[in-house]
Amino acid sequence: MQTTRPAAAQTTPPGAEQAPSRAVRGLGRHTLALPSLGWTVLFFVAPLVLLVLYSFGTRNVLTYEVEFGWTLQNYSDVWHGLYIDALLRSLALSAAATFACLLIGFPVAYTIARAGRRMQLVLLLLVMVPFWTSFVVRTYGVFNVIGDRGPLQQLLKALGLVGGDIHLLFTPVGVGIGIVYTYLPLMILPLYVALERIDPALLEAASDLGARPVRTLLRVIVPLALPGIVGGCVLVGIPATGEYVIPQILGGGKTLMIGNVIADQFLEIGDFPFGAALAMVLTAIVMAILLLVRARADRGETVTS
Amino acid sequence: MSRRLPRPSVVFTIIVLLCLYAPIVIVVLYSVNKDEALLHWEGFTWKWYSQAFHDDDVRKAFGVSIQVAILSTLISLVIAVTAGLWWRRASRRARRAVDGLTFSRIVLPEVVFALGLFVLFRKLDIALGVGAIVVGHVVFISAYATIIIQTRLATMNDTLEEAAADLGASPWRVFRRVTLPALAPAVAVAALLSMTFSFDDVIASQFLGGPNAQTLPVLVLGKIRLHLTPEVNAIGVGLMVITLLSFTIAGLIAMLRPTGAGSVLGLGRRAR
Repeated sequence: MQTTRPAAAQTTPPGAEQAPSRAVRGLGRHTLALPSLGWTVLFFVAPLVLLVLYSFGTRNVLTYEVEFGWTLQNYSDVWHGLYIDALLRSLALSAAATFACLLIGFPVAYTIARAGRRMQLVLLLLVMVPFWTSFVVRTYGVFNVIGDRGPLQQLLKALGLVGGDIHLLFTPVGVGIGIVYTYLPLMILPLYVALERIDPALLEAASDLGARPVRTLLRVIVPLALPGIVGGCVLVGIPATGEYVIPQILGGGKTLMIGNVIADQFLEIGDFPFGAALAMVLTAIVMAILLLVRARADRGETVTS
Repeated sequence: MSRRLPRPSVVFTIIVLLCLYAPIVIVVLYSVNKDEALLHWEGFTWKWYSQAFHDDDVRKAFGVSIQVAILSTLISLVIAVTAGLWWRRASRRARRAVDGLTFSRIVLPEVVFALGLFVLFRKLDIALGVGAIVVGHVVFISAYATIIIQTRLATMNDTLEEAAADLGASPWRVFRRVTLPALAPAVAVAALLSMTFSFDDVIASQFLGGPNAQTLPVLVLGKIRLHLTPEVNAIGVGLMVITLLSFTIAGLIAMLRPTGAGSVLGLGRRAR
């Protein structure tokens, strides 16, 4: 998440900021920022501003044109059953999937961090390779596995874990499985980075002083791994909340998340003002989560990179 | 580090790894399975690959995907390199502001800004299609590329550039002969990752492509949802191979040369 800004401060020689080299001064100090700023303002900031304006506007019922205004009607419509349901379902699914990723990812990351140097690299590669294959195809892979006559179903029956037929595909659980599957590597990596840094001497000290393994885990390992835990939860939770492709494939038009509901407002129903209001609510939620994490990070509770 | 491994966690790790690979392996198996209904194994066939290869929709979508990937990568590289060079000399406050914009292009849900662009293009009567997809891709791809280039520049020593300038080289010459060669591996990795992200994208491609420009992942999504045939598996394997290949090359470059790609590739974060 965080790039290596502190390193930048260290490698810039003192005084470099006040006296840029002749070469760079010649290029013009700020012209270099123009391509990036121009693109961002035109194609990122402007569309968002338009969405904000639309969200307070109304739709002309006859022409379908958006009329700008200052109504809060669109925002109060968000609280209607159908939409608030989709919103809450997205948040719940995303939170549950993130927690499941943490529960599954932690032991895996711990095992990798405690393996030999070369083994660590091999295991990390094994975790990352599925992540490096196509997103749609991976989700389609899950579609095959959890299908009504798919391998998971057969395995569960063979093990005697389920009696009759269970339906996973096109249910919230199915979408959740899809999210966990696709985002798990994003949880394992930051966890590994945090766990790998823990000095084994600390664990020995804990056990020498009589701490049982569970106590060592809760009082030593987890607190030290906290930056990785927070990092992983952000990397999984944020994209999962606005997920669109996974519910498209695994939800089958039944289990919709807020991303799909918003897209439908624009692409199918054509109610831009209401869609814009929903999009703003989603944006506000994402920003709130990030600001919260960042505030904690600034207080020194997390250290990334 | 070589402490005794707790057995259950090793077993658990192996099971998790198997689960990570099972869906992919099944797609590969289905892609060479004769059984049209995909219920049982009925023998090996290349039929679906040849069907996909001769499918005009697939060929067209592949063309669109490649076109979009190349265009968005070129634009993203220009944006990333210029932004990186500016960033190196900028004041702390200016950096913070621009970093915020870079960061938000990555974390904001793609659905939101892709639909924002959709609405903007509608408002300005700009046609959807390849150009519109490229605009959408560059918004987030250039942010990743910028982070890679900035990270590399932050660890680069500028003594050589100072020396070249002192010896009378023009700014452009300093950039061409000193900065760019040192930056080349980072640019190569940024380019490969940009192409992969563009090639793999669904959301912006679907919202901004309109009826006439369909990328390969969007075509696959449509087939999965509406018209599932074994051909999908063959196309899927093709997609996976392409994405995996460019990621592997990017990873190899990043391992051998300083690139600043660690944070984006997700590997070797500590190495930088």
